[in-house]
Amino acid sequence: MVLGVIGADCHAVGNKILERVFSEAGFNVVNLGVMVSQDEYIDAAIETGAEAIIVSSLYGHGEIDCQGFRERCVERGLENVILYVGGNLVVGKTPNEEIVTKFKSMGYDRVFTPDTPLEDCINFLKQDILGRRAEDGQNSQY
Amino acid sequence: MKLYQGKIPESEFMQMREGALQTWPTGQDVDLEDAVQYQRGLPDSMNFAKKMHEADQAKQVLLQPRAGVALVEEHIQLLKFLEPECDLLPTTIDAYTRLNQYNEAQRGIEKSKAAGQSLLNGFPAVNHGIAECRRLVESLSKPVEIRHGTPDARLLAEISFAAGFTSYEGGGISYNIPYAKKVTLEHSISCWQYIDRLVGYFEEQGVRINREPFGPLSGTLVPPFASHTVAILEGLMALEQGVRSITLGYGQAGNMIQDIAAMMALRELADEYFQKAGYNDYELSTVLHQWMGGFPEDQAKAFSVITWGGTAAALAKATKVIVKTPHEAFGIPTKEANLEGLKCTRQIVNMLADQEVPETKQMLWEVELIKRETRALMDATLQLGNGNIAEGAVRAFQAGVIDIPFAPSLANPGKMMPVRDNHGAIRILDFGKVPIPEDIRKIHKELIQKRADIEKREASFQMVIDDIYSISKGRLVGRPR
Repeated sequence: MVLGVIGADCHAVGNKILERVFSEAGFNVVNLGVMVSQDEYIDAAIETGAEAIIVSSLYGHGEIDCQGFRERCVERGLENVILYVGGNLVVGKTPNEEIVTKFKSMGYDRVFTPDTPLEDCINFLKQDILGRRAEDGQNSQY
Repeated sequence: MKLYQGKIPESEFMQMREGALQTWPTGQDVDLEDAVQYQRGLPDSMNFAKKMHEADQAKQVLLQPRAGVALVEEHIQLLKFLEPECDLLPTTIDAYTRLNQYNEAQRGIEKSKAAGQSLLNGFPAVNHGIAECRRLVESLSKPVEIRHGTPDARLLAEISFAAGFTSYEGGGISYNIPYAKKVTLEHSISCWQYIDRLVGYFEEQGVRINREPFGPLSGTLVPPFASHTVAILEGLMALEQGVRSITLGYGQAGNMIQDIAAMMALRELADEYFQKAGYNDYELSTVLHQWMGGFPEDQAKAFSVITWGGTAAALAKATKVIVKTPHEAFGIPTKEANLEGLKCTRQIVNMLADQEVPETKQMLWEVELIKRETRALMDATLQLGNGNIAEGAVRAFQAGVIDIPFAPSLANPGKMMPVRDNHGAIRILDFGKVPIPEDIRKIHKELIQKRADIEKREASFQMVIDDIYSISKGRLVGRPR
């Protein structure tokens, strides 16, 4: 999985913790750190053959930064990559359901608000990767 | 760009300005003489430095929120809404401007207009330009500070001072290490030497502009000695360029004794190093930032954290307190939530205005500990600089003498690991290469071990993670679940 904080966002703390927690859960984490552009995530995913891209956004510009990411992935040959986004995704307090709907319509497979326990994210990602592998007709084990 | 030792000569400075002003079209409107005239014409009540100095003399605690939205009219309405409940106003700058991405900021302005709401996390002052920023300042009756996080904030400074803003947050270290990834310290420090020189120019013309190094840094378990070292270094670099109104900051850590001791030590250490460097004609004040880490989502619980920050500021006699809001856990607050944070803080600050905390043995021990730790870092840094403070700061980060926990910058060593002790004070689990004396290391080790024993687990990174989330989950020390 490729991990990073998108756009001009430099919130580093959660990113360092995510790296640690996902690694301990058995994922091979390629952490790009903060201030990552859409193409940097995609470059890293292509180079490493990553199955998932995990996008964080904490500073409120998420809506601008995350637009068009799914289309860009498809354009660059990553039709099947799992795309997650999480954090404080919009400016101003907005009901969680509204945020989730908005980002899902942008092509993100799962959208996480700040109240999500990390264990849930780990379980979802395991489940989604296995599901995607099954769809792809692969028999590899997690 | 080079790192200056001593004040940048005026002729060289004027040449540097020409380059900086060309980085976006609105820079062409800056006329330094006109800027000085405009600042001179502002009433005293709009001058940040004056207000800070008066409050410091009167031992008052001033309140300041954070606030900034994409469009001018919207931003004016926001600040006018907050003005009755605060003493000092902010203008928080958006993240694109902080990275000098003025094209993206422009896109954000257009999209915000179309959406009918702000899609930027702050006010893009450079794009709006001098005339629009003056319209903002003229709509208000309290001093306004630019608050941001910009490694290269030269153009923003030029436009801000020409537009009547009278305080400027940041510094070459404090607006790089927590806010950037690939910007070198050489670059950011030289940019901030320029900004301090610009403030020094206004000072020469009789206009006092306040400067505030950003105290909390990464806002994540930063021990007082680390942020104090950065604050004092940036204070010295500002003085060197002619700045005379300086506000040094500290981010509340959560243990009341450590927080009060840290604020006492900060002021005393700053005077000590400033005077040792030969400065006597400065105005020093302090700022405490209410808890900068993760907040509880529950608003009643968030108010409790805000109150604790107001308490720390009042009891530590900070000159001002930067106020959080009950929406902190969700990101940028509504203006109503912002106002509530101010009201909550005002109540506790007023209630504590006439109370004093006795200087107990424990507190004085903590003050002395912080002073010894900070001096160890300061003296090593000044020695590395061999007379050039800016060079010293760069080398100190290279050598691991200064290390800021959880900072994104590649210029930061990132080896030092903090953790709370059994009473919630921030101690150091792994010092990395920070030159803290052996006897002090032993104190930290023992205090952390005491917690580990009580929690029946090893002091480890898991304990650090627990501490990072603890306040948002309802307590100060991250006890095992």
